[in-house]
Amino acid sequence: MQDALAQLESTYLTLQPQIGMLLAGCQTQADRDKITTQFVQARAAYWSCVNKAFHDDDPAVVTLTNELTAANTELKQAVAQLGDIKKTIDTITQVVTIATSLASKVIP
Amino acid sequence: MTKNWLSLHRARRSAISAAVFCVVITGGCKTGDDAKAAATQLAATAKCLSDYYSALATILTETDSLNSVEQVMYGIPYDPATQAQIADISAEIKKRAALSKDLSDLAESLASLTGSSAATDASASAAKLGTALASVKSIKPDMGSAEQTAMKAAAGLIATAIQEHKEREAARGMDQLTKGLLDFFVKEEPDYQSIGNQYAVLSSSLALSLLQNGQTDPAGFFKAALDPYGLVPQITDPKLKAGIEKLAEKQIADKAEALKTSQKQAAGDMEKSLRQMSERVDLVANEKPMELRSAPLSIANVEKWAAEFQSAAGLNTPAASKSKDTTKDQ
Repeated sequence: MQDALAQLESTYLTLQPQIGMLLAGCQTQADRDKITTQFVQARAAYWSCVNKAFHDDDPAVVTLTNELTAANTELKQAVAQLGDIKKTIDTITQVVTIATSLASKVIP
Repeated sequence: MTKNWLSLHRARRSAISAAVFCVVITGGCKTGDDAKAAATQLAATAKCLSDYYSALATILTETDSLNSVEQVMYGIPYDPATQAQIADISAEIKKRAALSKDLSDLAESLASLTGSSAATDASASAAKLGTALASVKSIKPDMGSAEQTAMKAAAGLIATAIQEHKEREAARGMDQLTKGLLDFFVKEEPDYQSIGNQYAVLSSSLALSLLQNGQTDPAGFFKAALDPYGLVPQITDPKLKAGIEKLAEKQIADKAEALKTSQKQAAGDMEKSLRQMSERVDLVANEKPMELRSAPLSIANVEKWAAEFQSAAGLNTPAASKSKDTTKDQ
């Protein structure tokens, strides 16, 4: 189940190097707040699963990991292109929502 | 006459010590040298493991500082939940460093059994190791409490067996313990690598941002040219500054990649060393020849990484100094 942590890492570390550019690309404080919130959640999701484990036989974990894997591909494209900031924020929000759901499945 | 008596006494004591050692570790002197060699090698390997964990703890301390830097740079809150997670992970890693140090001490005491109190000392080391094992939180369900319980039981077995001169039980305990330690490391290793990756990405992205926003002093690049002549750089030419920025960007990217690669190699080398030690202790425990007389070669690479990382992370930073002091206390 190590893939789950790898995908959570991917979400967080895709956003990390681009965070300055993403914030600079926002035209409103509301957008900046949205990106900040999503970034904090992505980082929290990652750290809440380091040195922890998931149940191998939990189908929800498998599904969410697969969903996050696909979503991370979209995330990488979105933050690399840095086009329409509203669309980018939407993509980030969708991906981080999956990441947060996956992180909630970690064994406490 | 006195000198002769002393020589005789020393020779007799030495013979007794060797006999005690052989009995404790191997149940006989057939492979006594092998047992002593294995114990010495295990001491070095476990010390290396402790250094590996200490370097990881330094990475986590640096990560904590970098998240605070990021908060100042971008106004991104460093949330208490994440701070607590990082602190918890760091505490667990430090427990593993302490546990490895205890194992190194135990192996060292077994390798140098001399004098009448030696068995008591070795037994105390084993008991201390058992206590350290009890404090480590098992994090992987597939490793689970059964495996950890077996390791604790092995430490207890060693402590009792040494005291009671039940040599085969002691050797079996060491065998069980080294196998458990290898499993422990292997199952947690991907998480260690992830910690290394995030550190490389986080530190390099913040460094790059500070550089690109003109928040670094490029004067240091010219020190090599000017220091020998007692001159202090004062860079004002924009072309020079731009040139330095490009060079620095490449250096940051290269360094980040090097950090990721070296972390991965160190983890791989550590696993390899633990596996080799487990195999060697198994040979001795089963009274088979163990001809190797050097510690696993790969521990040198791990030690180099641990030392290089500490210097690469910057021992002058308050966070690194704090971490160094903490690990020293263990």
